[in-house]
Amino acid sequence: MYKLIEKEIFSENVIKLVIEAPEIARSRKPGHFVIVRVDEKGERIPLTIAGADETKGTITLVVQRVGVTSWKLTNLKPGDFVLDVAGPLGKATHIEKVGTILCAGGGVGVAPLLPIAEGLKKAGNRIITVIAARSKDLVILEKQIREFSDELIIMTDDGSYGTKGLVTNGMEEVIKREKVNMSVVIGPPVMMKFASMLTKKYNIPTVASLNTIMVDGTGMCGACRCSVNGKTRFVCTDGPEFDAHAVDFDEMILRLGAYKDKELETYQEYLKTIS
Amino acid sequence: MADLTTKYLGLTLRNPIIVASSGLTDSFEKIADLEKNGAGAVVLKSLFEEQIILEADQNLKEAGKNSLIYAKYSETLDYIDLYIREKELSKYLDLIKRVKKDLTIPLIASVNCISDIGWTGFAKQIEKSGADALELNIFISPFGFDNNCDEKEQQYYKILSKVKQEIKIPVAVKISPYFTNLGKVIMNLEKNGANGVVLFNRFASPDIDIEHTKIISAEAFSNPVEMYNSLRWISILSNRLKIDIAASTGIHDGKAVIKQILAGASAVQVASALYIHGTSHITEMLSFVENWMDKKGYNYIDQFKGKLSQEKNTNPEVYERLQFMKYFSKIK
Amino acid sequence: MNDNNEYIKEERNKDWRVNLRKSIKAKDRTDRARAHMPEADPAVRNKNSEEVNKGLELLTAVYEAGRCLDCANPTCIDGCPVGIYIPKFIKQIESQDFKGAAATLKDTNVLPAVCGRVCPQEKQCEASCFYTLSLKKDPVAIGHLERFAADYERNSGNMSVPVVEKPNGIRIAIIGSGPAGLACANDLAKWGYDVTVFEALHELGGVLKYGIPEFRLPNIIVDVEIDIMKKMGVKFRKNVIIGKTLSFDDLREQGFKAFFVGSGAGNPSFMNIPGENFNNIFSSNEYLTRVNLMNAANDEYDTPVIRGKNVAVIGGGNTAMDSVRTAKRLGAERAMIVYRRSIDEMPARVEEIKHALEEEVEFMNLHNPVEYFADEKGRVNKMRVQKMELGEPDSSGRRRPIPIENSEFDIEVDSVIVSVGVTPNPLIPGVLPDLKMSKWSTIVVNPETMQSSVEDLFAGGDIVRGGATVILAMGDGRKAAAGMHKYVSEKVKVK
Repeated sequence: MYKLIEKEIFSENVIKLVIEAPEIARSRKPGHFVIVRVDEKGERIPLTIAGADETKGTITLVVQRVGVTSWKLTNLKPGDFVLDVAGPLGKATHIEKVGTILCAGGGVGVAPLLPIAEGLKKAGNRIITVIAARSKDLVILEKQIREFSDELIIMTDDGSYGTKGLVTNGMEEVIKREKVNMSVVIGPPVMMKFASMLTKKYNIPTVASLNTIMVDGTGMCGACRCSVNGKTRFVCTDGPEFDAHAVDFDEMILRLGAYKDKELETYQEYLKTIS
Repeated sequence: MADLTTKYLGLTLRNPIIVASSGLTDSFEKIADLEKNGAGAVVLKSLFEEQIILEADQNLKEAGKNSLIYAKYSETLDYIDLYIREKELSKYLDLIKRVKKDLTIPLIASVNCISDIGWTGFAKQIEKSGADALELNIFISPFGFDNNCDEKEQQYYKILSKVKQEIKIPVAVKISPYFTNLGKVIMNLEKNGANGVVLFNRFASPDIDIEHTKIISAEAFSNPVEMYNSLRWISILSNRLKIDIAASTGIHDGKAVIKQILAGASAVQVASALYIHGTSHITEMLSFVENWMDKKGYNYIDQFKGKLSQEKNTNPEVYERLQFMKYFSKIK
Repeated sequence: MNDNNEYIKEERNKDWRVNLRKSIKAKDRTDRARAHMPEADPAVRNKNSEEVNKGLELLTAVYEAGRCLDCANPTCIDGCPVGIYIPKFIKQIESQDFKGAAATLKDTNVLPAVCGRVCPQEKQCEASCFYTLSLKKDPVAIGHLERFAADYERNSGNMSVPVVEKPNGIRIAIIGSGPAGLACANDLAKWGYDVTVFEALHELGGVLKYGIPEFRLPNIIVDVEIDIMKKMGVKFRKNVIIGKTLSFDDLREQGFKAFFVGSGAGNPSFMNIPGENFNNIFSSNEYLTRVNLMNAANDEYDTPVIRGKNVAVIGGGNTAMDSVRTAKRLGAERAMIVYRRSIDEMPARVEEIKHALEEEVEFMNLHNPVEYFADEKGRVNKMRVQKMELGEPDSSGRRRPIPIENSEFDIEVDSVIVSVGVTPNPLIPGVLPDLKMSKWSTIVVNPETMQSSVEDLFAGGDIVRGGATVILAMGDGRKAAAGMHKYVSEKVKVK
């Protein structure tokens, strides 16, 4: 049983949860994720650890409401318990001083990007961050990520905040004006695909953090498999970070849709029961 | 100074000497050495299905002897050949990648095919790894006794067309001479998309040890006299084919290289000669060719390539018979 | 085993055994036909998860136990990987001392209710039974009798909690709550150690829970055994991944003196053929975990599972059988096994194959998939298979499958389960670079003590053997417990 300590609503569908998990808070490094199961009948889902407080023994998760499980999770109130939280899982981000790093976060992808930006900044890199969302109220963690960025550029599709445009527009401007040694791109798969196509054009080594379907999260089932350089890899144990230019994003997008029809159906039914 | 540059499969080689698929080309260090010694290109040692089966068997044997490993009814060891195959393929692809990254010598990958299943996916991966071309060593055994020669021939074309559908890099087909209508078969290979043919593959032969009265392997290396069959066929075919021909088997010195080029080959493949004389032999062979070209006043290869190939309009059957009769009548 | 031989002889010469042997003539015993295990109706059971084997009735069990000749040289024991005192427990059943039989079983086998159900007896004890070897008749139904005794004890509601020695305060960490870990924990707890079992998943039992389906091994049986261990003082911690949540150094700092690694062979293998990453192609681990562990077949539970109508399962072992029979139960019209060798060469338990055939599973032997195709949404809809013929035997003695030229054809499928083996979980070897590994990615251990190249680390089960059996895992767990006991005692003495 893992207690929900704090809850903050970033926007209608994006909620921050602070959960008590002292051992995980202690062992976790940037890039790690946890597997969460809300209750006895729940499914296991992966969520990136957006932050942790070792002294308080808590971890921070940022959850987007997209289906039954994320709804149940974000409907909990401080003081409630999450049944199972297992982690930290995955390979931690490789932190190294390389020079200037272009970090790009799309939508909820800013949450997993935050600890990575933090780690890379602390290693002495110059961090230029581009975060993007459809509109102003979907921009999250601006203050937090600004803390670890030498420069922060905000892009919105509708121009309601920051500059109007896509994340790739913001990225390209940076690339054109200064030397970028490395890039980290995190967000919806389509965003990562196009962002990495951009950096490939300019030969910038790029890391993407993949978010596939998972069941156990410990390398036991292969539900999370993806193709990197033509070889099958498990996101939960070989990743979640991979060389973005080697990832078959099209296959990943296809595999993400495996249960879409069923999930949509169940989700709509669930929404009816709670409305 | 003569220019030995030659074009084979659309690749530009600094000279016509290609080191054939063999134990000379199975590691990065060996290929680097061949590049240093002047080889024009290398054909990677072939991947054999049999090799994978042998290794899988070896693995099973060891597992069976290990007191801890659950072997006999293991669901995993049941499919051990798959894992070994995957491992071998990975090693092969990694070698290609490394050679392409750190060396400049043109690299032709080689695959032994007995069927079209399983190799097309691999052909794609070979292409992705950066190989400059692919040599298909198609071996549908001629040593059986069934009646299906037409079917067997069709297999060659089927494998070739399937591979050609999958990849864009040039594909050469290496064959043995054991066909009833060899000339037609080779022309059909061209028709089915081959970018080049390698004439000929050489089978290991059995020999007999009369002291111990048992069957043994014959001498592993080729003998220069084995060159003449491909010399004949290259001279017959080179004017009739648009695609490149590489001569193989029995080429042990610079003289043989020149002969094959005169017959119409774009390049030659050597292996035994280097086993016998060492990899520095390449330089000797090249010097011989250069000196000959200088002596004859040739500045580049194309000036004498195919000079002695048979005229397109000559009937090879008649030609052959005439040659034979000429030879014997001389003796008479 | 020598002191065991003494013990076996001693027990056999006890009065009650001698009298029991005399009570029925040998010929009357051997004339009895082997008991038939009552089974659920295939047409009904292939749509639900009720246990297929119903268990022997009491009188049937006693009658069957009477078939056992109580041999002077019990070859059956040689066939058992953990050396259960088979004639003794069978004779106890014959004399209707069922609790005694259960106790005898528990002397060597921590989970007899499990093994009685899942052991491949036809390759182990029953293959070495006198009936099989000499009489060429059906062996004594040792497995069914083991299950009977264990179930009787459990159903009597009066399960004995083993006696635990005085606590010695020495902390031992068991990594993995599968059969190996449970067996190891059980012995060490009995000897007074302070045992904590760490499990990465949210349920205890390992492969017994997530792998073996309900219709073969009801989960309740595993839970009952775990409860007894809890009563013995064994602590269980779920959702803890040793090597991630806590490191070995963390555990050493917390005072743990020795470790047993029983993390299993959970890494699924794939065939790496074109199209294998299309949607609705699963490893058997994923498929079974969804259904067995996450209850995906029950609509009340959130985890989804694809209920294919045309399901192909690739493989020939017990995992493939479990997968295909599960697919049938989930509503498959065609549930097919695609295996490249013949049915006789399948490594699965004979009983599983028999049950699968009865449940209308289609067996496509001498077939092998070579490619998968998908619809516009990336969902598999076609599988291309190639026919095989059998060639020369390989080192395992089984004939090698050879593809037949031009024999490929396509089969309509909407779901494929790949069950071609598992390799050891690489997590722990990954965090311990000093740990000596074998070429099969297993942890190398001393076969007598199960000690690895890391002094305080012992291992057993699939992580040492590759995907193997429950009984071997338990045997390893017990051996390791003895090895750890010796190691810790010596270390403490030195101190």
